Amino acid sequence: MVSRLKRLAFRRFKKAETRLHVLNYLFWECTTRCNLNCLHCGSDCSKDPSHPDMPMDDFLRALDTIESPDKNFIVAITGGEPLLRKDLELCGREIRRRGMRWGMVSNGQLYDRERHHSLLNAGMGALTISLDGLKESHDWLRNTKGSFERVEQAIELAASSERLHFDVVTCINRRNFTELQAIYEYLDSKNVKAWRLFTIVPIGRSVENKELFLSDAEFKGMMEFIAEHRKNGGMDVKFSCEGYVGAYESQVRDTPFFCRAGINIGSILIDGSISACPNIDRSFVQGNIYNDNFHQVWQTAFLPFRDRAWTRRGTCAGCKDYKDCQGNGFHNWHGEKNQVLVCHKAKLEAAETSPVS
Amino acid sequence: MKRNWLRGIIGGLSFSSALFIFQACYGMPQDFTEDLLVEGIVTAKSSGKPIKNIHVFTDPFGSETATDDQGAFSFYTLQFESVKLTFEDIDSTNNGSFASRDTVIVPREDPAFVDRVYLEIALEER
Repeated sequence: MVSRLKRLAFRRFKKAETRLHVLNYLFWECTTRCNLNCLHCGSDCSKDPSHPDMPMDDFLRALDTIESPDKNFIVAITGGEPLLRKDLELCGREIRRRGMRWGMVSNGQLYDRERHHSLLNAGMGALTISLDGLKESHDWLRNTKGSFERVEQAIELAASSERLHFDVVTCINRRNFTELQAIYEYLDSKNVKAWRLFTIVPIGRSVENKELFLSDAEFKGMMEFIAEHRKNGGMDVKFSCEGYVGAYESQVRDTPFFCRAGINIGSILIDGSISACPNIDRSFVQGNIYNDNFHQVWQTAFLPFRDRAWTRRGTCAGCKDYKDCQGNGFHNWHGEKNQVLVCHKAKLEAAETSPVS
Repeated sequence: MKRNWLRGIIGGLSFSSALFIFQACYGMPQDFTEDLLVEGIVTAKSSGKPIKNIHVFTDPFGSETATDDQGAFSFYTLQFESVKLTFEDIDSTNNGSFASRDTVIVPREDPAFVDRVYLEIALEER
């Protein structure tokens, strides 16, 4: 009874949040240059390393269009690899000068002691670093020998900071699935307080590589692993907000699934495109900072994000959980958009009936 | 202000304390920590000229930086009741030779120091 009431209240909450659509979180794809060549790259983002970095002033002009930014507003600097930009600290200081917060998502390869301090000094308050397994499996997915040692140094530095809101993210695949407990213990030994687990979306260069995708049973195993560790306390382990996981919803995250793309999350992409999360199909672009007023676009466009009734198609059409899921994570709609790319709930249901593969 | 009120009421009705704390799938956590911008200039007491490459660090929190060509420094650190800043000449006789100096600041005692502190530090020659 209580859980049903909670679910109903949360649906109302989502509706209200959608109606208010307060911009809390703005991605800035500041570069598409990268110093790694990961096997799954292109599965999440459209990367064109030949595109020049966006000049800081162009981004700031767009930022300055935001009237009365929310007190929780934060800029999430992403790429490519943001640390390849030499002016990152300057960008950060300019963001802070405007009374806004900023953080960064990095592969950690260039995150040394000097950079750690210069970024903190520039007001960086949050950081996410990708670690995709223990040494062998991390170097395999990142497609670069020695990348583990470099990311290890970055994790140690970030975890030592009292100032940073820091977490580690891991893309779980068939190779590192068997290492889940070992990765947990490794991160715990490095004093990491928060760990977020992802799966890989089957698009881009990842599609042909079957090792990247968990079987249904493995996916369920990952849910069990997260649920178990959340029950036991210790490190804050959670499943990312990538999708709706049915019966596991209350066990693997702090709050129920709510894809906030275009509702509280916007982005300014490398070519000036205005969208929501950077991994969303670029056909959903809502404008461009070089032609449009960013904040006006945020306030008045984004209709496919704020009214998701159009996602009630394909397997979503007859789904009894649709009101709680609403078409899963928005990044799961690509190409013709006739069918959600991944249904996490269906994977879990299939795992109940299929043997371990 | 009004919209935050409204969000708070609606959030409260859904019985969860963490509704407004979220991170995008591929983003980093949000940041709600109060911090403080510490800025200033370091000069030679005798000449008043700015000193380059003076190491500036805090206790606690381990924030650290060095002065630039104009003797200026700037860094963010956690909000605190009080913090000790140390100014230390670490490049031997390059840029002159100066005695170290400690300064304790108590930001919350001064309403002007809500989120920014500006310091003028003069170092004695050794």
